Amino acid sequence: MKRREALKNTAIIGGTAALFTSILSLFQACKAQPRLTWEPQFLSIEQAQLVSALVDTILPKTSTPGGLDVKVDILIDLLYGNTYDEQAQQSIVTEMEKFNDKCMAKYGKVFYELDAHQKKAFLQEEEANSPKFNSGVWGYSVGEQKPVGFYRSFKSLAVWGYCSSEEIGIEVLKYDAIPGDYQGCVPLSEIGGVWSI
Amino acid sequence: MSAFKYDHNYKTAAEKDRTYDAIVIGSGMSGGWAAKELCEAGMKTLVLERGRIIQHIKDYPNMNKEAWDWEYRGSITPAERKKHYKAGRTNWIGAGNKDLYANDLENPYTEIKPFMWLRAHQMGGRSQLWGKQTYRWSDIDFEANAKDGHGVDWPIRYKDIAPWYTYVEKYVGISGQALGLPQLPDSHFLPPMELNCVEKDIQHRIEKAYPNRNMTIGRVAHLTEPLNGRGKCQTRNKCSMGCPYSAFFSSISVTLPAANATGNMTIRPFSIAHSIIYDEQKGKATGVKVIDAETGEMIEYKARIIFCNASTLSSTRILLNSTSNRFPNGLGNDSGELGHNLMDHTYRVGALGTFEGHEDKYYKGRRPNGIYIPRYWNIDEASKSDKFVRGFGYQGGAYRKGWGRGANIQDFGADFKDSLLKDPGPWEFFITGFAECLPYHENKVSLDTNSLDKWGQATLAIDCEYKENELALNKQIQEDAVEMLEKAGLKDIVGFDSKHEPGFGIHEMGTARMGRDPKTSVLNATNQIHACKNVFVTDGACMTSNSCVNPSLTYMALTARAANHAISELKKLNL
Repeated sequence: MKRREALKNTAIIGGTAALFTSILSLFQACKAQPRLTWEPQFLSIEQAQLVSALVDTILPKTSTPGGLDVKVDILIDLLYGNTYDEQAQQSIVTEMEKFNDKCMAKYGKVFYELDAHQKKAFLQEEEANSPKFNSGVWGYSVGEQKPVGFYRSFKSLAVWGYCSSEEIGIEVLKYDAIPGDYQGCVPLSEIGGVWSI
Repeated sequence: MSAFKYDHNYKTAAEKDRTYDAIVIGSGMSGGWAAKELCEAGMKTLVLERGRIIQHIKDYPNMNKEAWDWEYRGSITPAERKKHYKAGRTNWIGAGNKDLYANDLENPYTEIKPFMWLRAHQMGGRSQLWGKQTYRWSDIDFEANAKDGHGVDWPIRYKDIAPWYTYVEKYVGISGQALGLPQLPDSHFLPPMELNCVEKDIQHRIEKAYPNRNMTIGRVAHLTEPLNGRGKCQTRNKCSMGCPYSAFFSSISVTLPAANATGNMTIRPFSIAHSIIYDEQKGKATGVKVIDAETGEMIEYKARIIFCNASTLSSTRILLNSTSNRFPNGLGNDSGELGHNLMDHTYRVGALGTFEGHEDKYYKGRRPNGIYIPRYWNIDEASKSDKFVRGFGYQGGAYRKGWGRGANIQDFGADFKDSLLKDPGPWEFFITGFAECLPYHENKVSLDTNSLDKWGQATLAIDCEYKENELALNKQIQEDAVEMLEKAGLKDIVGFDSKHEPGFGIHEMGTARMGRDPKTSVLNATNQIHACKNVFVTDGACMTSNSCVNPSLTYMALTARAANHAISELKKLNL
């Protein structure tokens, strides 16, 4: 993919974040791709395009805000950049590349360039082939955990980022800052949804 | 609450007078009780705290924060994780509580065998982080060593400690359900927290299938009614970030303010107890050598009695470091048992499963508590096992999986998102056992002069492992857990054994045990060092065996008992 290679080469030549930003607008001006409306701190432009496209496909806007509306993609960039250690960062970059390579092999395009049907078909396959997370007890998953792979771990981060955002956490999920006495058996209809935290 | 004496120029206040009636080393779960009892009896008491001061409520900057209030939603950075590279193994350290965990880089220890040692180096110690589960021990526990021959006999029995359990419970505030079980005596209870509908069903099914087993709500140090000006639990489940209602028990919110209110307490922060000073002529301890954590300066404080409450292993480290001609191997170490017989509870072995039914029911509140299944093995002839001695109890609970299950649902997109936000998902139930560990002489800590801490002091090398009996108990825990969940009708049952090393239970006990015989133990029946009676050790170091129930309540009761003994002995001029 020319654009992808061009971006890689430019990154090597340019090397600084400041330059990167101006290149971003250049690319967006000349390609008919979805515009990246935020400036990634850790991810490359192309990786950020992938993150935004995945968030939007997993958590699209419906009658409730979508993942992009509550800036889950921006959060993921922040988390990768600031809460992952170097080794984990390298591994996530490699996994993203592999994910796009797989997409490339199948459609001749990277993920964010696919149309909606292709995105859906591709993720359906990922869903079917990705092991699931074991249940956890007190902060630890139990039993032998198979590696869940990039897609499922990304989805986990996206869902958490979405549900722990202020907009969803207060407005969409059921939020009760000070519940008072625990009540152990309440009709679900009385709660009317899923507890926020 | 009146201001603590350290408020302004705390060091000047402590230095004006370096002689006190009593010194308490440590301000946590047991140190807070020692301070309260001694100060209320009119004794001028210096409390040494190795870390900073935390004023109740005023110093809880995170108590009202939610996930979205943090830049990284409560996650911490690699640099912060490195600071907690040992305790971080728990996966519990987040942005809201990271400052309550000790810096592992400044406070190294050596794991001769893997051992997770979780420390809290500030006022309140681990009483700000504990699980609040509070259970009385029974004579089955106090008689265990004598009956099966492991370790040495406890110098006390249930009747010796029972009134002190009641005494501290009335002040701490323990909620729970009375069951009248011989192996788990009832506390003085506030009303129990509620079981949810799935837990109630499972309780009925288990109790029906197993006549000698019970399932009950956890007994916890959370107020379910106001007590002494403290408010009841609002089920926010943000305890470790500080409770604005003072609803859970910590020394910061309960015992230290009471000690302070007497006007008799001085607390000196940033004060690392180096050693206890032993006077060869007088044949007793005369004070404590303290390292100022900020300046590195060594200062001596004098007192008539000393309470060592630095936490199990830290108390033993201080005693090992307190050498003299009389005690070349550590204060009170005539027996050679100081540092030995380290115990913990096994952790995270059990089963979980999915419950079908009650899909139209939910709960309200984030109950900081779960269920408890008291020990049922080896409590009488009929329940005797031929595979192991002692026993275990389970904690657990039922909950709906909520949006946390999202990653595992085999779907994505509009319908996935909308249903995740509306449907609380299936009910899951888990139980996880805590097994008693035998006191083995070879499970030990020793001073490591090759590895020094930030202040140039010898650190601890920990050499501890679970052995055959603990592994047999763990095997039974998992087998029984799976079977009970099957009988309770759960589906998709998964048994698990996380194979955690000792220390994960955070119930480390022993290393300066109580006993009847000075030749085989360090402390007597009232927690005094046999050969240096004005030094009392009343934290987890004193434990002779470790039961299978959570130990904090027993530390508190032993401390109140020992402090009142100290006061009466001082009055009789015996110390």
